[in-house]
Amino acid sequence: MSQEDFVITAKDINKIYGRGETKVNALKKVNIEIKKGDYITIIGPSGSGKSTFMNILGCLDKPTSGKLYIENTDVSTLNENKLAKIRRKKIGFIFQKYNLIPTLTALENVTLSMSFAGVTFSERIKRAEDLLKKVDLTHRLSHKPSELSGGEQQRVAIARALSNNPSIILADEPTGNVDSRSGIKIMDILEKINNQGETVIVVTHDPNIAKRGKWTIRIHDGVVSGFAD
Amino acid sequence: MVLLIDNFKIAFKNIKERKSRVFLTLIGVAIGIMAIVALMSLGEGMQSAVEGELASLTDTIIVTTGSVNVNAMGGGFTEGGGAHFTQRDIDGINRIGGLESVNPVMFGGAIIEYNGEFHSVTILGMDAYSMSYIFGIDFLGLQSGEFMNTGDQNKCIIGNNVANEYFDTSISVGNKIKINNKNFYVNGIYKKQGAGFSTETDDNIHLTVRDFKKITGQENISGILIRVSDVNNIEDIADEIEFVINENHGEDDFANVITMSSILDSIQSVLSVISLFLLGIAAIALVVASIGIMNTMLTSVMERTHEIGIMKAIGAKNTDILSIFLTEGILISLFEGSLELC
Repeated sequence: MSQEDFVITAKDINKIYGRGETKVNALKKVNIEIKKGDYITIIGPSGSGKSTFMNILGCLDKPTSGKLYIENTDVSTLNENKLAKIRRKKIGFIFQKYNLIPTLTALENVTLSMSFAGVTFSERIKRAEDLLKKVDLTHRLSHKPSELSGGEQQRVAIARALSNNPSIILADEPTGNVDSRSGIKIMDILEKINNQGETVIVVTHDPNIAKRGKWTIRIHDGVVSGFAD
Repeated sequence: MVLLIDNFKIAFKNIKERKSRVFLTLIGVAIGIMAIVALMSLGEGMQSAVEGELASLTDTIIVTTGSVNVNAMGGGFTEGGGAHFTQRDIDGINRIGGLESVNPVMFGGAIIEYNGEFHSVTILGMDAYSMSYIFGIDFLGLQSGEFMNTGDQNKCIIGNNVANEYFDTSISVGNKIKINNKNFYVNGIYKKQGAGFSTETDDNIHLTVRDFKKITGQENISGILIRVSDVNNIEDIADEIEFVINENHGEDDFANVITMSSILDSIQSVLSVISLFLLGIAAIALVVASIGIMNTMLTSVMERTHEIGIMKAIGAKNTDILSIFLTEGILISLFEGSLELC
Protein backbone atom coordinates (compact mmCIF):
# COMPACT_ATOMS: atom_id res chain seq x y z
CA MET A 1 0.00 0.00 0.00
CA SER A 2 1.45 3.38 -0.92
CA GLN A 3 1.77 6.12 1.65
CA GLU A 4 -0.81 8.32 -0.11
CA ASP A 5 -3.63 6.13 1.17
CA PHE A 6 -2.89 6.89 4.80
CA VAL A 7 -4.34 9.94 6.56
CA ILE A 8 -2.04 9.40 9.50
CA THR A 9 1.39 7.84 9.49
CA ALA A 10 3.40 7.75 12.72
CA LYS A 11 7.06 6.69 12.54
CA ASP A 12 9.08 5.84 15.67
CA ILE A 13 7.30 8.37 17.81
CA ASN A 14 8.79 8.91 21.26
CA LYS A 15 7.43 11.30 23.84
CA ILE A 16 9.46 12.07 26.95
CA TYR A 17 8.18 14.31 29.73
CA GLY A 18 10.64 15.92 32.15
CA ARG A 19 14.34 15.17 32.32
CA GLY A 20 16.93 13.39 34.45
CA GLU A 21 15.61 11.43 37.43
CA THR A 22 11.97 12.37 36.86
CA LYS A 23 11.99 11.55 33.17
CA VAL A 24 8.85 9.78 31.98
CA ASN A 25 8.85 7.97 28.69
CA ALA A 26 5.19 8.31 27.79
CA LEU A 27 5.42 6.89 24.28
CA LYS A 28 8.04 4.46 23.07
CA LYS A 29 8.71 4.00 19.38
CA VAL A 30 5.12 4.09 18.24
CA ASN A 31 4.55 3.16 14.61
CA ILE A 32 1.09 3.33 13.15
CA GLU A 33 -0.65 3.80 9.82
CA ILE A 34 -4.27 4.84 9.57
CA LYS A 35 -6.21 4.66 6.34
CA LYS A 36 -8.78 7.15 5.16
CA GLY A 37 -12.25 6.23 6.34
CA ASP A 38 -11.00 4.02 9.18
CA TYR A 39 -12.83 3.78 12.49
CA ILE A 40 -10.20 3.11 15.09
CA THR A 41 -10.47 2.78 18.83
CA ILE A 42 -7.46 3.20 21.10
CA ILE A 43 -7.73 1.33 24.39
CA GLY A 44 -5.47 1.17 27.36
CA PRO A 45 -5.49 1.70 31.13
CA SER A 46 -5.06 5.20 32.49
CA GLY A 47 -1.44 6.36 32.40
CA SER A 48 -0.71 4.11 29.47
CA GLY A 49 0.01 7.04 27.17
CA LYS A 50 -3.18 6.97 25.09
CA SER A 51 -4.04 10.60 25.81
CA THR A 52 -0.47 11.64 25.02
CA PHE A 53 -0.76 9.78 21.73
CA MET A 54 -4.09 11.47 21.06
CA ASN A 55 -2.62 14.93 21.74
CA ILE A 56 0.22 14.23 19.35
CA LEU A 57 -2.18 13.00 16.65
CA GLY A 58 -4.25 16.15 17.18
CA CYS A 59 -1.15 18.36 16.83
CA LEU A 60 -1.70 19.72 20.33
CA ASP A 61 1.65 18.34 21.37
CA LYS A 62 4.86 17.56 19.52
CA PRO A 63 6.69 14.23 19.70
CA THR A 64 10.16 14.31 21.28
CA SER A 65 11.44 12.31 18.35
CA GLY A 66 9.99 10.53 15.35
CA LYS A 67 7.84 11.70 12.51
CA LEU A 68 4.13 12.23 12.17
CA TYR A 69 2.50 12.67 8.77
CA ILE A 70 -1.05 13.95 8.45
CA GLU A 71 -2.24 13.58 4.87
CA ASN A 72 1.40 13.43 3.80
CA THR A 73 2.41 16.60 5.61
CA ASP A 74 5.21 16.14 8.13
CA VAL A 75 3.69 17.98 11.09
CA SER A 76 6.62 17.37 13.45
CA THR A 77 8.54 20.19 11.75
CA LEU A 78 5.74 22.76 11.47
CA ASN A 79 5.62 26.04 13.38
CA GLU A 80 2.77 27.19 15.65
CA ASN A 81 0.73 28.91 12.96
CA LYS A 82 1.00 26.04 10.50
CA LEU A 83 0.01 23.61 13.25
CA ALA A 84 -2.99 25.82 14.01
CA LYS A 85 -3.92 25.60 10.35
CA ILE A 86 -3.71 21.76 10.42
CA ARG A 87 -5.87 21.66 13.55
CA ARG A 88 -8.34 24.00 11.92
CA LYS A 89 -8.62 22.28 8.53
CA LYS A 90 -7.86 18.62 9.08
CA ILE A 91 -8.73 17.73 12.65
CA GLY A 92 -11.92 17.85 14.67
CA PHE A 93 -11.43 17.33 18.38
CA ILE A 94 -13.98 15.91 20.80
CA PHE A 95 -13.00 15.97 24.48
CA GLN A 96 -14.14 13.97 27.47
CA LYS A 97 -15.13 17.18 29.26
CA TYR A 98 -16.82 18.75 26.19
CA ASN A 99 -14.66 21.91 26.52
CA LEU A 100 -17.24 24.32 25.18
CA ILE A 101 -16.73 28.05 25.75
CA PRO A 102 -19.06 28.81 28.69
CA THR A 103 -19.91 32.36 27.66
CA LEU A 104 -21.06 31.39 24.17
CA THR A 105 -24.31 29.70 23.10
CA ALA A 106 -24.44 26.31 21.38
CA LEU A 107 -24.68 27.97 17.99
CA GLU A 108 -21.83 30.38 18.73
CA ASN A 109 -19.63 27.54 19.98
CA VAL A 110 -20.05 25.83 16.63
CA THR A 111 -19.49 29.00 14.61
CA LEU A 112 -16.39 29.99 16.59
CA SER A 113 -14.11 27.40 14.99
CA MET A 114 -15.43 28.43 11.58
CA SER A 115 -14.61 32.06 12.36
CA PHE A 116 -10.99 31.00 12.93
CA ALA A 117 -11.11 29.45 9.45
CA GLY A 118 -12.47 32.66 7.93
CA VAL A 119 -15.87 31.32 6.87
CA THR A 120 -18.31 34.16 6.13
CA PHE A 121 -20.84 35.09 8.74
CA SER A 122 -24.00 33.94 6.97
CA GLU A 123 -22.43 30.68 5.81
CA ARG A 124 -21.24 29.97 9.34
CA ILE A 125 -24.71 30.33 10.80
CA LYS A 126 -26.27 28.17 8.11
CA ARG A 127 -23.66 25.44 8.49
CA ALA A 128 -23.81 25.51 12.29
CA GLU A 129 -27.60 25.16 12.19
CA ASP A 130 -27.28 22.21 9.81
CA LEU A 131 -24.71 20.50 12.03
CA LEU A 132 -26.72 21.04 15.19
CA LYS A 133 -29.73 19.60 13.39
CA LYS A 134 -27.61 16.57 12.52
CA VAL A 135 -26.89 15.97 16.22
CA ASP A 136 -30.54 16.58 17.14
CA LEU A 137 -30.12 19.93 18.89
CA THR A 138 -32.23 22.26 16.74
CA HIS A 139 -34.20 23.22 19.86
CA ARG A 140 -31.08 24.21 21.82
CA LEU A 141 -29.37 26.70 19.48
CA SER A 142 -29.26 29.67 21.84
CA HIS A 143 -28.65 27.76 25.06
CA LYS A 144 -25.40 28.22 26.91
CA PRO A 145 -23.39 25.12 27.89
CA SER A 146 -24.47 25.47 31.52
CA GLU A 147 -28.10 25.13 30.37
CA LEU A 148 -27.43 21.87 28.51
CA SER A 149 -27.12 18.29 29.79
CA GLY A 150 -23.81 16.46 29.50
CA GLY A 151 -25.00 14.47 26.49
CA GLU A 152 -26.27 17.61 24.77
CA GLN A 153 -23.01 19.44 25.43
CA GLN A 154 -21.07 16.55 23.93
CA ARG A 155 -23.27 16.66 20.83
CA VAL A 156 -22.57 20.41 20.50
CA ALA A 157 -18.88 19.51 20.73
CA ILE A 158 -19.33 16.95 17.95
CA ALA A 159 -21.04 19.55 15.77
CA ARG A 160 -18.13 21.89 16.50
CA ALA A 161 -15.60 19.19 15.58
CA LEU A 162 -17.34 18.73 12.23
CA SER A 163 -17.72 22.44 11.48
CA ASN A 164 -14.62 22.88 9.32
CA ASN A 165 -15.03 19.60 7.38
CA PRO A 166 -11.98 17.92 8.91
CA SER A 167 -10.58 14.69 7.51
CA ILE A 168 -9.96 13.22 10.96
CA ILE A 169 -12.21 13.21 14.03
CA LEU A 170 -10.33 12.61 17.27
CA ALA A 171 -12.51 11.75 20.26
CA ASP A 172 -10.89 11.45 23.68
CA GLU A 173 -13.23 9.40 25.90
CA PRO A 174 -16.30 11.05 24.35
CA THR A 175 -18.69 9.05 26.53
CA GLY A 176 -16.64 9.31 29.72
CA ASN A 177 -18.81 11.99 31.33
CA VAL A 178 -22.29 11.10 30.09
CA ASP A 179 -24.91 8.53 31.07
CA SER A 180 -25.05 5.28 29.13
CA ARG A 181 -28.08 6.22 27.01
CA SER A 182 -26.44 9.48 25.88
CA GLY A 183 -23.25 7.52 25.39
CA ILE A 184 -24.96 5.17 22.95
CA LYS A 185 -26.42 8.14 21.08
CA ILE A 186 -23.00 9.75 20.80
CA MET A 187 -21.40 6.55 19.57
CA ASP A 188 -24.20 6.21 17.00
CA ILE A 189 -23.50 9.70 15.73
CA LEU A 190 -19.77 8.95 15.47
CA GLU A 191 -20.53 5.78 13.55
CA LYS A 192 -22.78 7.71 11.20
CA ILE A 193 -20.01 10.23 10.62
CA ASN A 194 -17.62 7.38 9.84
CA ASN A 195 -20.12 5.89 7.42
CA GLN A 196 -20.05 9.16 5.52
CA GLY A 197 -16.32 8.62 4.90
CA GLU A 198 -14.78 10.47 7.80
CA THR A 199 -11.79 8.95 9.61
CA VAL A 200 -12.74 8.54 13.25
CA ILE A 201 -10.35 7.77 16.11
CA VAL A 202 -11.82 7.16 19.55
CA VAL A 203 -9.84 6.79 22.76
CA THR A 204 -11.57 4.81 25.47
CA HIS A 205 -10.97 2.46 28.35
CA ASP A 206 -14.37 0.81 27.90
CA PRO A 207 -13.99 -2.48 25.98
CA ASN A 208 -17.64 -2.31 24.83
CA ILE A 209 -17.00 0.96 23.06
CA ALA A 210 -13.65 -0.26 21.79
CA LYS A 211 -15.47 -3.15 20.11
CA ARG A 212 -17.40 -0.76 17.88
CA GLY A 213 -14.25 0.27 16.01
CA LYS A 214 -13.18 -1.45 12.81
CA TRP A 215 -9.97 -2.17 14.59
CA THR A 216 -8.49 -1.46 17.98
CA ILE A 217 -5.03 -0.29 19.06
CA ARG A 218 -3.91 -1.35 22.54
CA ILE A 219 -1.45 0.85 24.37
CA HIS A 220 0.33 -0.23 27.51
CA ASP A 221 3.12 1.72 29.20
CA GLY A 222 3.68 3.79 26.10
CA VAL A 223 4.07 0.78 23.86
CA VAL A 224 1.57 -0.17 21.20
CA SER A 225 1.17 -3.74 22.24
CA GLY A 226 -1.16 -5.02 19.65
CA PHE A 227 -3.78 -4.51 17.04
CA ALA A 228 -7.06 -6.30 17.16
CA ASP A 229 -9.73 -6.46 14.56
CA MET B 1 -8.48 35.20 10.63
CA VAL B 2 -11.22 36.10 13.02
CA LEU B 3 -13.51 38.85 11.84
CA LEU B 4 -13.54 42.04 13.86
CA ILE B 5 -17.20 41.65 14.69
CA ASP B 6 -16.55 38.20 16.19
CA ASN B 7 -13.82 39.64 18.35
CA PHE B 8 -16.16 42.32 19.59
CA LYS B 9 -18.90 39.82 20.29
CA ILE B 10 -16.65 37.49 22.26
CA ALA B 11 -14.94 40.34 24.09
CA PHE B 12 -18.25 41.96 24.93
CA LYS B 13 -19.62 38.71 26.34
CA ASN B 14 -16.51 38.27 28.44
CA ILE B 15 -16.79 41.77 29.86
CA LYS B 16 -20.47 41.23 30.57
CA GLU B 17 -19.58 38.03 32.41
CA ARG B 18 -17.13 39.92 34.63
CA LYS B 19 -18.88 43.25 34.76
CA SER B 20 -18.41 44.03 38.45
CA ARG B 21 -14.68 43.45 38.26
CA VAL B 22 -14.32 45.47 35.09
CA PHE B 23 -16.37 48.24 36.70
CA LEU B 24 -14.16 48.37 39.78
CA THR B 25 -11.05 48.50 37.64
CA LEU B 26 -12.55 51.29 35.61
CA ILE B 27 -13.31 53.30 38.72
CA GLY B 28 -9.74 52.80 39.91
CA VAL B 29 -8.27 54.09 36.67
CA ALA B 30 -10.82 56.91 36.45
CA ILE B 31 -9.86 58.12 39.89
CA GLY B 32 -6.19 57.91 38.99
CA ILE B 33 -6.61 59.97 35.87
CA MET B 34 -8.94 62.41 37.53
CA ALA B 35 -6.35 62.90 40.26
CA ILE B 36 -3.71 63.65 37.63
CA VAL B 37 -5.91 66.12 35.79
CA ALA B 38 -7.19 67.80 38.94
CA LEU B 39 -3.81 68.15 40.62
CA MET B 40 -2.10 69.26 37.44
CA SER B 41 -4.65 71.96 36.75
CA LEU B 42 -4.50 73.00 40.39
CA GLY B 43 -0.75 73.54 40.07
CA GLU B 44 -1.06 75.25 36.72
CA GLY B 45 -3.87 77.46 37.93
CA MET B 46 -1.90 78.46 41.01
CA GLN B 47 1.08 79.44 38.91
CA SER B 48 -0.80 81.39 36.29
CA ALA B 49 -2.87 83.18 38.95
CA VAL B 50 0.22 84.33 40.80
CA GLU B 51 2.06 85.22 37.63
CA GLY B 52 -0.92 87.12 36.25
CA GLU B 53 -1.25 89.12 39.43
CA LEU B 54 2.37 89.93 39.92
CA ALA B 55 3.16 90.51 36.28
CA SER B 56 1.33 93.85 36.51
CA LEU B 57 3.90 94.96 39.06
CA THR B 58 7.03 94.07 37.12
CA ASP B 59 7.98 97.74 36.72
CA THR B 60 8.26 98.21 40.48
CA ILE B 61 11.43 98.14 42.57
CA ILE B 62 11.17 97.89 46.34
CA VAL B 63 14.12 99.07 48.42
CA THR B 64 14.38 98.13 52.08
CA THR B 65 17.19 98.22 54.56
CA GLY B 66 19.39 95.32 55.48
CA SER B 67 18.64 91.75 54.68
CA VAL B 68 14.96 91.11 55.18
CA ASN B 69 12.69 88.32 54.20
CA VAL B 70 11.41 88.62 50.71
CA ASN B 71 7.73 89.07 51.04
CA ALA B 72 5.52 89.99 48.18
CA MET B 73 3.55 92.81 49.71
CA GLY B 74 4.62 95.42 52.17
CA GLY B 75 6.50 93.04 54.39
CA GLY B 76 10.03 93.50 55.49
CA PHE B 77 9.99 97.21 56.11
CA THR B 78 11.79 98.12 59.29
CA GLU B 79 10.29 100.52 61.72
CA GLY B 80 11.45 104.09 61.84
CA GLY B 81 13.80 103.60 64.78
CA GLY B 82 16.29 101.26 63.09
CA ALA B 83 18.44 101.72 60.02
CA HIS B 84 16.61 103.92 57.57
CA PHE B 85 16.96 105.88 54.40
CA THR B 86 17.43 109.60 54.20
CA GLN B 87 16.36 112.37 51.84
CA ARG B 88 19.87 112.10 50.40
CA ASP B 89 19.09 108.56 49.26
CA ILE B 90 15.90 109.72 47.58
CA ASP B 91 17.77 112.52 45.83
CA GLY B 92 20.48 110.09 44.77
CA ILE B 93 17.93 107.75 43.26
CA ASN B 94 16.19 110.62 41.52
CA ARG B 95 19.40 111.35 39.67
CA ILE B 96 19.31 107.91 38.02
CA GLY B 97 17.71 108.05 34.60
CA GLY B 98 14.75 106.04 33.36
CA LEU B 99 12.57 106.33 36.44
CA GLU B 100 8.85 106.96 36.42
CA SER B 101 8.48 107.79 40.10
CA VAL B 102 10.31 107.50 43.43
CA ASN B 103 8.21 107.28 46.56
CA PRO B 104 9.24 106.82 50.17
CA VAL B 105 7.46 104.33 52.42
CA MET B 106 7.28 104.90 56.13
CA PHE B 107 6.53 102.37 58.77
CA GLY B 108 5.66 102.82 62.42
CA GLY B 109 3.32 102.26 65.31
CA ALA B 110 0.33 104.28 66.38
CA ILE B 111 -2.58 104.22 68.80
CA ILE B 112 -6.04 104.34 67.32
CA GLU B 113 -9.28 105.17 69.02
CA TYR B 114 -12.79 104.25 68.02
CA ASN B 115 -15.93 104.64 70.12
CA GLY B 116 -13.81 105.33 73.18
CA GLU B 117 -11.77 102.12 72.81
CA PHE B 118 -8.03 102.16 72.16
CA HIS B 119 -5.81 99.83 70.21
CA SER B 120 -2.25 99.91 68.95
CA VAL B 121 -1.63 99.22 65.27
CA THR B 122 1.10 99.31 62.71
CA ILE B 123 0.76 102.16 60.26
CA LEU B 124 2.28 102.52 56.83
CA GLY B 125 2.78 105.75 54.97
CA MET B 126 2.90 105.66 51.20
CA ASP B 127 1.91 107.97 48.39
CA ALA B 128 -1.68 107.56 47.23
CA TYR B 129 -0.84 106.43 43.70
CA SER B 130 1.62 103.71 44.78
CA MET B 131 -0.85 102.46 47.34
CA SER B 132 -3.62 101.92 44.82
CA TYR B 133 -1.09 100.55 42.33
CA ILE B 134 0.46 97.95 44.61
CA PHE B 135 -2.34 97.09 46.99
CA GLY B 136 -4.99 97.36 44.32
CA ILE B 137 -4.08 94.12 42.56
CA ASP B 138 -6.82 91.52 42.49
CA PHE B 139 -5.89 89.23 45.31
CA LEU B 140 -5.22 92.07 47.69
CA GLY B 141 -7.60 94.88 46.90
CA LEU B 142 -10.36 96.59 48.78
CA GLN B 143 -13.44 94.98 50.25
CA SER B 144 -15.26 98.29 50.32
CA GLY B 145 -14.59 101.98 49.78
CA GLU B 146 -11.83 103.23 47.53
CA PHE B 147 -8.17 104.21 47.49
CA MET B 148 -7.16 107.81 48.24
CA ASN B 149 -6.42 110.33 45.55
CA THR B 150 -3.21 112.26 45.44
CA GLY B 151 -3.69 115.32 47.62
CA ASP B 152 -6.28 113.76 49.92
CA GLN B 153 -5.73 114.46 53.58
CA ASN B 154 -6.79 112.80 56.81
CA LYS B 155 -8.01 109.72 55.06
CA CYS B 156 -6.89 106.14 55.64
CA ILE B 157 -7.37 102.59 54.42
CA ILE B 158 -7.68 100.06 57.21
CA GLY B 159 -6.99 96.32 57.31
CA ASN B 160 -9.80 93.85 57.63
CA ASN B 161 -8.91 92.80 61.18
CA VAL B 162 -8.68 96.42 62.25
CA ALA B 163 -12.15 97.01 60.86
CA ASN B 164 -13.87 93.91 62.20
CA GLU B 165 -12.02 92.51 65.19
CA TYR B 166 -10.25 95.22 67.10
CA PHE B 167 -13.31 96.99 68.43
CA ASP B 168 -16.66 95.94 69.81
CA THR B 169 -18.45 97.53 66.88
CA SER B 170 -17.04 97.08 63.41
CA ILE B 171 -15.68 100.02 61.53
CA SER B 172 -17.11 100.67 58.10
CA VAL B 173 -16.25 103.02 55.26
CA GLY B 174 -17.17 106.61 56.11
CA ASN B 175 -16.61 106.15 59.86
CA LYS B 176 -14.18 108.37 61.69
CA ILE B 177 -11.34 106.95 63.74
CA LYS B 178 -8.63 108.69 65.71
CA ILE B 179 -5.02 107.87 64.94
CA ASN B 180 -2.62 109.32 67.50
CA ASN B 181 -5.48 111.58 68.50
CA LYS B 182 -6.05 113.00 65.04
CA ASN B 183 -9.33 112.41 63.22
CA PHE B 184 -9.18 110.24 60.13
CA TYR B 185 -11.85 109.38 57.63
CA VAL B 186 -11.97 105.63 56.73
CA ASN B 187 -11.77 105.74 52.96
CA GLY B 188 -11.53 102.00 52.35
CA ILE B 189 -11.23 98.59 53.98
CA TYR B 190 -8.92 95.88 52.63
CA LYS B 191 -10.10 92.40 51.77
CA LYS B 192 -9.31 89.77 54.36
CA GLN B 193 -6.00 88.14 53.46
CA GLY B 194 -6.02 85.46 56.12
CA ALA B 195 -3.37 82.85 55.42
CA GLY B 196 -2.96 84.08 51.87
CA PHE B 197 -0.02 85.84 50.39
CA SER B 198 0.45 88.50 52.95
CA THR B 199 -1.31 88.96 56.23
CA GLU B 200 0.30 92.37 56.59
CA THR B 201 -2.67 94.33 55.35
CA ASP B 202 -5.08 92.68 57.79
CA ASP B 203 -3.67 94.44 60.84
CA ASN B 204 -2.29 97.59 59.23
CA ILE B 205 -3.54 101.06 58.55
CA HIS B 206 -2.34 102.76 55.41
CA LEU B 207 -1.97 106.55 55.22
CA THR B 208 -0.40 109.02 52.87
CA VAL B 209 3.19 109.97 53.63
CA ARG B 210 2.16 113.48 54.54
CA ASP B 211 -0.37 112.31 57.14
CA PHE B 212 2.11 109.78 58.44
CA LYS B 213 4.69 112.48 59.09
CA LYS B 214 2.05 114.71 60.63
CA ILE B 215 0.84 112.23 63.24
CA THR B 216 4.15 110.59 64.08
CA GLY B 217 6.48 113.55 63.63
CA GLN B 218 8.86 111.02 62.15
CA GLU B 219 10.95 111.58 59.04
CA ASN B 220 12.67 108.22 58.81
CA ILE B 221 12.14 106.42 55.54
CA SER B 222 11.76 102.65 55.95
CA GLY B 223 11.54 101.81 52.30
CA ILE B 224 11.42 103.27 48.84
CA LEU B 225 9.12 102.31 46.01
CA ILE B 226 10.43 103.05 42.55
CA ARG B 227 8.72 102.53 39.21
CA VAL B 228 10.82 102.44 36.07
CA SER B 229 9.68 103.62 32.67
CA ASP B 230 11.15 100.67 30.75
CA VAL B 231 10.75 97.26 32.35
CA ASN B 232 13.66 95.87 30.32
CA ASN B 233 16.13 98.05 32.20
CA ILE B 234 14.81 97.17 35.62
CA GLU B 235 17.67 94.91 36.72
CA ASP B 236 20.32 97.48 35.72
CA ILE B 237 18.48 100.27 37.50
CA ALA B 238 18.07 98.08 40.58
CA ASP B 239 21.84 97.50 40.68
CA GLU B 240 22.48 101.20 40.31
CA ILE B 241 20.08 102.06 43.12
CA GLU B 242 21.75 99.57 45.40
CA PHE B 243 25.14 101.04 44.58
CA VAL B 244 24.02 104.63 45.22
CA ILE B 245 22.46 103.88 48.59
CA ASN B 246 25.29 101.67 49.82
CA GLU B 247 27.69 104.39 48.80
CA ASN B 248 25.70 107.00 50.77
CA HIS B 249 25.78 104.93 53.91
CA GLY B 250 29.23 103.48 53.46
CA GLU B 251 28.01 99.93 53.95
CA ASP B 252 28.06 97.02 51.53
CA ASP B 253 24.70 95.59 52.47
CA PHE B 254 22.77 98.58 53.62
CA ALA B 255 20.12 98.47 50.92
CA ASN B 256 18.09 95.51 49.90
CA VAL B 257 16.74 96.05 46.42
CA ILE B 258 13.96 93.76 45.28
CA THR B 259 12.38 93.72 41.87
CA MET B 260 9.00 92.10 41.27
CA SER B 261 10.59 89.74 38.79
CA SER B 262 12.97 88.43 41.42
CA ILE B 263 10.03 87.88 43.72
CA LEU B 264 8.21 86.27 40.83
CA ASP B 265 11.18 83.99 40.24
CA SER B 266 11.33 82.87 43.83
CA ILE B 267 7.58 82.31 43.96
CA GLN B 268 7.71 80.40 40.71
CA SER B 269 10.44 78.12 41.94
CA VAL B 270 8.40 77.34 45.05
CA LEU B 271 5.29 76.78 42.97
CA SER B 272 7.06 74.50 40.54
CA VAL B 273 8.22 72.35 43.44
CA ILE B 274 4.62 72.21 44.66
CA SER B 275 3.41 71.34 41.16
CA LEU B 276 6.00 68.60 40.94
CA PHE B 277 4.92 67.28 44.30
CA LEU B 278 1.27 67.24 43.21
CA LEU B 279 2.24 65.54 39.99
CA GLY B 280 4.12 62.94 42.01
CA ILE B 281 1.07 62.13 44.09
CA ALA B 282 -1.10 61.94 40.99
CA ALA B 283 1.46 59.72 39.27
CA ILE B 284 1.35 57.30 42.18
CA ALA B 285 -2.44 57.19 41.87
CA LEU B 286 -2.11 56.45 38.17
CA VAL B 287 0.52 53.75 38.70
CA VAL B 288 -1.74 52.07 41.26
CA ALA B 289 -4.61 52.24 38.80
CA SER B 290 -2.54 50.81 35.96
CA ILE B 291 -1.41 47.94 38.14
CA GLY B 292 -5.10 47.39 38.83
CA ILE B 293 -5.87 47.15 35.13
CA MET B 294 -2.88 44.88 34.56
CA ASN B 295 -4.11 42.70 37.36
CA THR B 296 -7.58 42.49 35.86
CA MET B 297 -6.23 41.59 32.44
CA LEU B 298 -3.83 39.08 33.94
CA THR B 299 -6.51 37.33 35.99
CA SER B 300 -8.70 37.43 32.94
CA VAL B 301 -6.02 35.60 30.98
CA MET B 302 -5.10 33.20 33.76
CA GLU B 303 -8.60 32.08 34.57
CA ARG B 304 -9.12 31.49 30.87
CA THR B 305 -6.03 29.42 30.10
CA HIS B 306 -8.45 26.55 29.73
CA GLU B 307 -10.59 28.50 27.28
CA ILE B 308 -7.48 29.56 25.36
CA GLY B 309 -6.46 25.90 25.18
CA ILE B 310 -9.86 25.00 23.73
CA MET B 311 -9.65 27.74 21.15
CA LYS B 312 -6.19 26.61 20.12
CA ALA B 313 -7.39 23.00 19.90
CA ILE B 314 -10.18 23.98 17.51
CA GLY B 315 -7.71 25.80 15.33
CA ALA B 316 -7.15 29.34 16.65
CA LYS B 317 -3.80 30.91 15.87
CA ASN B 318 -1.96 32.72 18.65
CA THR B 319 -2.74 36.00 16.92
CA ASP B 320 -6.46 35.15 16.90
CA ILE B 321 -6.42 34.75 20.66
CA LEU B 322 -4.27 37.83 21.14
CA SER B 323 -6.70 39.87 19.09
CA ILE B 324 -9.63 38.65 21.22
CA PHE B 325 -7.89 39.79 24.40
CA LEU B 326 -6.75 43.05 22.83
CA THR B 327 -10.28 43.78 21.69
CA GLU B 328 -11.39 43.20 25.25
CA GLY B 329 -8.75 45.63 26.51
CA ILE B 330 -9.74 48.21 23.91
CA LEU B 331 -13.42 47.85 24.81
CA ILE B 332 -12.61 48.36 28.49
CA SER B 333 -10.54 51.41 27.59
CA LEU B 334 -13.41 52.81 25.53
CA PHE B 335 -15.82 52.38 28.44
CA GLU B 336 -13.17 53.98 30.58
CA GLY B 337 -12.85 56.92 28.22
CA SER B 338 -16.57 57.53 28.10
CA LEU B 339 -16.75 57.28 31.89
CA GLU B 340 -14.00 59.87 32.06
CA LEU B 341 -15.90 62.22 29.74
CA CYS B 342 -19.07 62.02 31.82
